[in-house]
Amino acid sequence: MSATRRIRFTLNGQAAAAEIGTHETLVEVLRDRFALFGARESCSQGLCGCCTVLVDGHAVSGCLFLAAAADGVKIQTIEGLASGERLDPVQEAFLECGAFQCGFCTPGFILMTRQLLDENPAPSEDEIRHYLSGNLCRCGAYPEIIEAVKLASHKVKSRTPGGAAP
Amino acid sequence: MSATAKAGQIGRSLPRLEGRAKVTGRAEYIHNLRLPGMVHGKIFRSAVAHGRIRRVDTAAAKALSGVFAVVTSDDIRKVISNPYYGPAFHDQPILAIDKVRHVGEPVAVVLAEDPHVAEEAMRLIIAEYDELPAVTDEVEAMTSTVIVHDALKPAGIFPDLKHLEGRKGTNVALDFHLRRGDVKQAFAEATHVFEHTFRTQPVMHTPLEPMVSAAEPGDGTLTIHTASQSPSFVRMEVARLLGWPENRVRVKTAFLGGGFGAKLYIKLEALVAALALLARRPVKISLAMDEQFFTITKHPSTFRIKSAVDKDGRVTARECEVWWNGGAYADVGPRVTQKSGFTAAGPYDIDNVAIDSYALYTNRPPAGALRGFGIPQLVWAYESHTDMIARALGIDPVEFRRRNILRDGRPQATGTVMKDAAIDKVLDRLVQRLGWSRPFDRGQGSVKRGRGLAVGFKASIAPTTSVAILNLYADGSCGLYCSTVDMGQGSDTAMAQIAAEVLDIPAETVRVVHPDTDVTPYDMATLGSRSTYHMGHAVKRAAEDARVKIDALKADLGVPPGSNVPLAELFRRKYGMQAGNIVGVGSFVPSYASPDHDTGLTPNATPFWMVGGTGAEVEVDTETGHVRVARLINVADLGTPINPRIVETQLSGGAIMQLGFTMQERMEFADGQLLNPNLADYKIPGMRDLPARIESEAVDAVERGGPFGAKGVGETATFGVSPAIANAIDAAVGVRLTELPLTPEAVYRALRKAGR
Amino acid sequence: MTPFDLVEPPSLGEALKLLEPDDSAVRPLAGGTALMLLMKSGFFRPKRLVSLRAAGERLARIRIEPNGELRIGAMVRLAALEWAPEVRRDFPVIGHTLRTLANVRVRNVATLGGHLAHADPHSDLPPVLIALGACLVLAGPRGERAVPVEGFATGHYETVCKGDELIVEATIPPLGRRRAAYAKCTTRSADDWPALGIAVAWDDDGAIRSPRIVLGAATERPTRLKAAEALIAGRTLDGALLTRAGEAAAEEADVVADARGSVSYKKQLVKVYVARALRAAGAGPAAP
Repeated sequence: MSATRRIRFTLNGQAAAAEIGTHETLVEVLRDRFALFGARESCSQGLCGCCTVLVDGHAVSGCLFLAAAADGVKIQTIEGLASGERLDPVQEAFLECGAFQCGFCTPGFILMTRQLLDENPAPSEDEIRHYLSGNLCRCGAYPEIIEAVKLASHKVKSRTPGGAAP
Repeated sequence: MSATAKAGQIGRSLPRLEGRAKVTGRAEYIHNLRLPGMVHGKIFRSAVAHGRIRRVDTAAAKALSGVFAVVTSDDIRKVISNPYYGPAFHDQPILAIDKVRHVGEPVAVVLAEDPHVAEEAMRLIIAEYDELPAVTDEVEAMTSTVIVHDALKPAGIFPDLKHLEGRKGTNVALDFHLRRGDVKQAFAEATHVFEHTFRTQPVMHTPLEPMVSAAEPGDGTLTIHTASQSPSFVRMEVARLLGWPENRVRVKTAFLGGGFGAKLYIKLEALVAALALLARRPVKISLAMDEQFFTITKHPSTFRIKSAVDKDGRVTARECEVWWNGGAYADVGPRVTQKSGFTAAGPYDIDNVAIDSYALYTNRPPAGALRGFGIPQLVWAYESHTDMIARALGIDPVEFRRRNILRDGRPQATGTVMKDAAIDKVLDRLVQRLGWSRPFDRGQGSVKRGRGLAVGFKASIAPTTSVAILNLYADGSCGLYCSTVDMGQGSDTAMAQIAAEVLDIPAETVRVVHPDTDVTPYDMATLGSRSTYHMGHAVKRAAEDARVKIDALKADLGVPPGSNVPLAELFRRKYGMQAGNIVGVGSFVPSYASPDHDTGLTPNATPFWMVGGTGAEVEVDTETGHVRVARLINVADLGTPINPRIVETQLSGGAIMQLGFTMQERMEFADGQLLNPNLADYKIPGMRDLPARIESEAVDAVERGGPFGAKGVGETATFGVSPAIANAIDAAVGVRLTELPLTPEAVYRALRKAGR
Repeated sequence: MTPFDLVEPPSLGEALKLLEPDDSAVRPLAGGTALMLLMKSGFFRPKRLVSLRAAGERLARIRIEPNGELRIGAMVRLAALEWAPEVRRDFPVIGHTLRTLANVRVRNVATLGGHLAHADPHSDLPPVLIALGACLVLAGPRGERAVPVEGFATGHYETVCKGDELIVEATIPPLGRRRAAYAKCTTRSADDWPALGIAVAWDDDGAIRSPRIVLGAATERPTRLKAAEALIAGRTLDGALLTRAGEAAAEEADVVADARGSVSYKKQLVKVYVARALRAAGAGPAAP
């Protein structure tokens, strides 16, 4: 039996390691070993998106992802998105559009938006709605979130060399 | 009372003060809390709806390695001799005693350092019950021989519940009656009489931060960290249960990951308090999403409404009978029954009104407040009824409403004269935005289009108290201490704006101190859209008190009153160094007159009225019954917005939540079991369920009694959504649904039944 | 969840050796999205999970064979399948179907093999794969065998895959002149599991040849609606034929009631959605 094991991975750009149980999920390990609370378990079924983290650049539900499977990967959480005091354009856009109320689902929406814009820098409203349909906001800040994704798209484009001006 | 805003802080769309913390994932929630030496509790719950507990076998759970303790009600009674709690009735045991009264009722708790172990051990507990017949329907509960509680135990806080003390053989936890005019005579003289019955389904708040509480024992003290909307109540109720003075119980909250009424009064707090005292170490219980469904729900309801109409299309009398399915424990249901009950006849000017509103115990999970305190259930019925009458009489629904609408200066059903309630203005704006007089595309082929509207109103919960403290520190910076809980509605920002306006400083420089009953003063609770008005007043008064004290300090120092010497400099001159404080205190309790017990009448039912209306354009797929809401318009009277941007988000957010309750959400029960306590099968709205267009508007209005002309807004946009959509469906395809939710199958069946 | 043994064999052969067909507490692990739900709810308590993450290149690749056949490794993530250029180009119906399957995060983790092996009757891809005539390659101690996706699932969460076998890859014949579409109907929210999904495909030579109409989600397992298929075979689509095909499909479909709809309502949905799926396939561009 190997019910515990050591995993090594890159966490927000830094080398990290942890002694974990095979039954532990990624969101539990981030919370209990690294005091990272931005990914948070809510529905426990991968439906709400509150526990979203990026694994090798792909968004996953941290509550359904065995920590053991994180061995050797690159993990990014909401805490690693800003560079120092400088927010990511997606974070800025959410802030400027007031795209949240209670804030519990916000890190998940921001990370999903980050991945969306990496794949598709200028999504249509229909594409935004489809892409984010697996994230739930019980406060119902959806109209503001859609607005924020559009704003973030402009910000990303205007910051990319050769990108269109906003 | 209202002061005009001059400093530019009111009406400013300031981004939320905590915005940066929320977008970086660093906002503080009780969910994140870790305490040294903490154990986790996992609740073992009843599998039956009603039964006598024969045996609870915890031996296997206790034997599991890593289990610290397994606790049942026998243990709880070692630290709390009479372990029953509740805001209206002391009817809810901390853990089930002798009987269980609903599926999912807490029966035992496992404590372990590792939550996985606690969960594993919980699954090893065995309980045996002698099952009893259960009553689940609110109307049946009126006459059922199944009695949920042997005797009623009102809490004693509310004078209007006293008469229920010790009453036996009934499931009625409160009956509210209102009698105005001569209803019988008016019906006898009516040209037309209409009677309909409407129902609403059980639904749940589903805050995404599930309920969570922790308790930490101290030296003769207890600190409770809890995601609660009512820290002051938690302290009082836990102190009462323990027989301690309030000053030995400290209750702290953080940001809440949603509340919507779910996190009110006592939920897990009494349990963690007892467990911490038993364990002599910190105990935390974090509910999983599924457990929330067993903890609190929204009242299902049945509403029979009957109207007398004269030849001119004027409603001359209305009879309302409302049954509220309160579940196994009263929670705040009796207040819902009364406070909502007296607006059951709707925002119409009707001379003769009879209202009977009943809170019923049943063997369902308890029901409490959910974003509207019963009002959405009522508006669903009376605004559907209104359209049905107009349709039957061949009168345009807008015209029919205008003939009957309740205007300022006219008495409402309770006899209270309406003031600052812009019902007519809200209706007018809806009509304009919908372009009601313009031609409307009725759709083609199998997709038919229709539009509808609805207007509702709500009295604030009264009388309730708020207290605020404003502390100006030695460097002149400002801390605001209030027990209003920011659960996403933006109260920190709004309160900072109010304080800043009075002090003439930028709102973003105000630091709002989160509820901590050792530090922040009393507030009744964050509920019922009461904070902007009540706490807003208290904050304004605290800031004004501080200003008076600044002026006194200036006078003391010989500084002319109008001078702009900075506060820090005043302190330096006074104390010879950077030192000292100015503490401003403000409190507020509105005037109120309790309704007469027999007639339900009162000259002063509420400090203010909330008015909300919705317009909807829908597309109905007549082949499948699918309804697509193409456009949803929310118009509200919320007085003068303190922060227009946050107010707009509150309006659209409230409407989207109610859209879920209208179209898709329903707790499904079968054979006493709840079939869908999870977000896979209980479907709350996601982004693809949204209307193509959502519009929100605050009408130009002033609440003269409110701070800077403002009043509450958190619930307002929920009022009209359900009936506006049902009215639009009727306009599109000529069928009427009288039960929520408006599922595709329900629409399809109605179409077939109507031969369409 | 409780601790368990987690092994990650470096080859398919090693993986097969680690399975224990007689012990239901030993199971293969692909993306794990469905298995984790069963484990978290306590329904499944593993003794050992055999992760297929490193079990060989063959399980991880997507490629088009010279004859136009599409081969998809069992460990290919659904998102990779959704975005693979060759799939988008040659099998657009697959990308279209995946767009509304669960959510982005699930598709980023869940694999084709796991999706099929789990055999949840509400899954979106099996009806589409059946309509396209896809097969699965299963590997076991006695070697490999090919089975059609049609008939792979035998009931709720049950398949013909034995306890000592693993899905290696799926093969889909070239689309050729085949038209295909998938129409999904949800009744409780847009992102709900489907109340039903209808996949249709046929060879188009001006008339309908070798049609397949497959119903998913509303039945115990994905089911071909053969009376409706027979009705449209050899004909050209028109309004009257769509109506009759829908009616025939509703008549023969052995639908099951659940929280998403009663039997009679689901039959109505079958009728409507069969017509809509046929219309969508007929309206789409003919395959290259």
